[in-house]
Amino acid sequence: MTRPSQHEPEQDDDHALAGEYVLGTLSLEQRKALEARLPNEPELQKAVMAWEERFLPYTAITDPVTPSDYLWPRIERSLKARETSVKRTGAAIAPRSPRRILHSLPLWRGAAGFGLAAALVMGVMLANEVTKPTIPTTPEYMVVLLAPQTQSAGWVVQASSRQEIELIPLGTFEVPEGKALEFWTKADEWQAPVSLGLVEPGQPIRLRLDQLPPLEDNQLFELTLEDEAGSATGLPTGPIEFIGRAVEI
Amino acid sequence: MTDDSSEFDHAVALANCARGEHDALHQLYVHEGARLLGVVVRIVKDRGMAEDIVHDACLNIWQRADSFDPDKGSARAWIFSVARHLALNAIRYRDREVTFDSTYESTYDSTYDSTFGSNDPTELDHPEHLQHATVVEDTFDWQTGQRMDRCLEQLEPERRNCVLHAYVDGLSHAEISAHTGAPLGTVKAWIKRSLLRLRECMT
Repeated sequence: MTRPSQHEPEQDDDHALAGEYVLGTLSLEQRKALEARLPNEPELQKAVMAWEERFLPYTAITDPVTPSDYLWPRIERSLKARETSVKRTGAAIAPRSPRRILHSLPLWRGAAGFGLAAALVMGVMLANEVTKPTIPTTPEYMVVLLAPQTQSAGWVVQASSRQEIELIPLGTFEVPEGKALEFWTKADEWQAPVSLGLVEPGQPIRLRLDQLPPLEDNQLFELTLEDEAGSATGLPTGPIEFIGRAVEI
Repeated sequence: MTDDSSEFDHAVALANCARGEHDALHQLYVHEGARLLGVVVRIVKDRGMAEDIVHDACLNIWQRADSFDPDKGSARAWIFSVARHLALNAIRYRDREVTFDSTYESTYDSTYDSTFGSNDPTELDHPEHLQHATVVEDTFDWQTGQRMDRCLEQLEPERRNCVLHAYVDGLSHAEISAHTGAPLGTVKAWIKRSLLRLRECMT
């Protein structure tokens, strides 16, 4: 269906499709469709890697940009945080002591996440080769939470099942004194958003949705700025800082 | 093979990452960080977001280093592909997400325009030179001395430009169409045919 043409040999189509994937011209849906095929299609994997090799020299067209002095220390902190969490996991994961749990809905579990957006690409692509038990299975849903004003991505929600999600920060966020970020979700049919609790900026969290209906396509997720103790009304009251909808993968 | 930096062994760096040596990732970062960031900034056109993506890319490289198989491709291609696909997914999500609520559309439009409109003096170099090219010239100094050069050379300049703009700038079909003035269907056909010709040439 995502093949560019029905009239050409399928092989050519796949090579062209792999090429377009590497070039980056595919739409989100087309990218997802291709990524979904990759784990089971070694020929397609090969085709993708071949294009990666062919085009690699042309990354040199782009001038290097020196990273800020903060980037490496940040990477190193994330590495260390991850290693600490890996040591902690295995047994029951210690709660990261969220400041509050609303409606007893979610069972929060502290768990260091990882920049897993790339897992969607390389993880899926290399899934055949990945043997680490700690690597999550292909998520069913993904949400990118954007800042409404700047449209920059601030968080990613990744769901490895329809009952368990992970909220992963893509950067940091300055929460004003006396305020907190509160995490909400609402499916199309629901009357009102449900709080998933408060979120620490820059901290990934994993969350089970046992008390909620299974995650569905297009389900809304947002982070609003509320008073430190969270919204007193049980509904979002403050400005939306990040918002996005679930996309089935 | 395509490694243009012979003094650094990317495959060894990945192997050392897989063994848990932080210094190996640091060496990789020192060696490729600026190039990775350059590639990602060019695609996402947002410096902050680009640093976030390079951060994520480094962690992904670290986490997945032991799944890298040198028999299936070069380490350097693998490393860059992690960062590029993160960047490409991020912009395609951004393009998609912003359309779900019409109240954000005006914000989006202005963001979108500024991507190409150069109304921001701090904006990174972007393809103004692509616009309305009636006399089609190369918009890149693209020759790298690699075998692929010869194959790209065989493409008509406007098609070569499409391919390279897609790869380097992360432009979608529609964006290439908008900025070359070529109809969308034409752009799609050019790119597909170009890819098939390139592949034929390279095999």
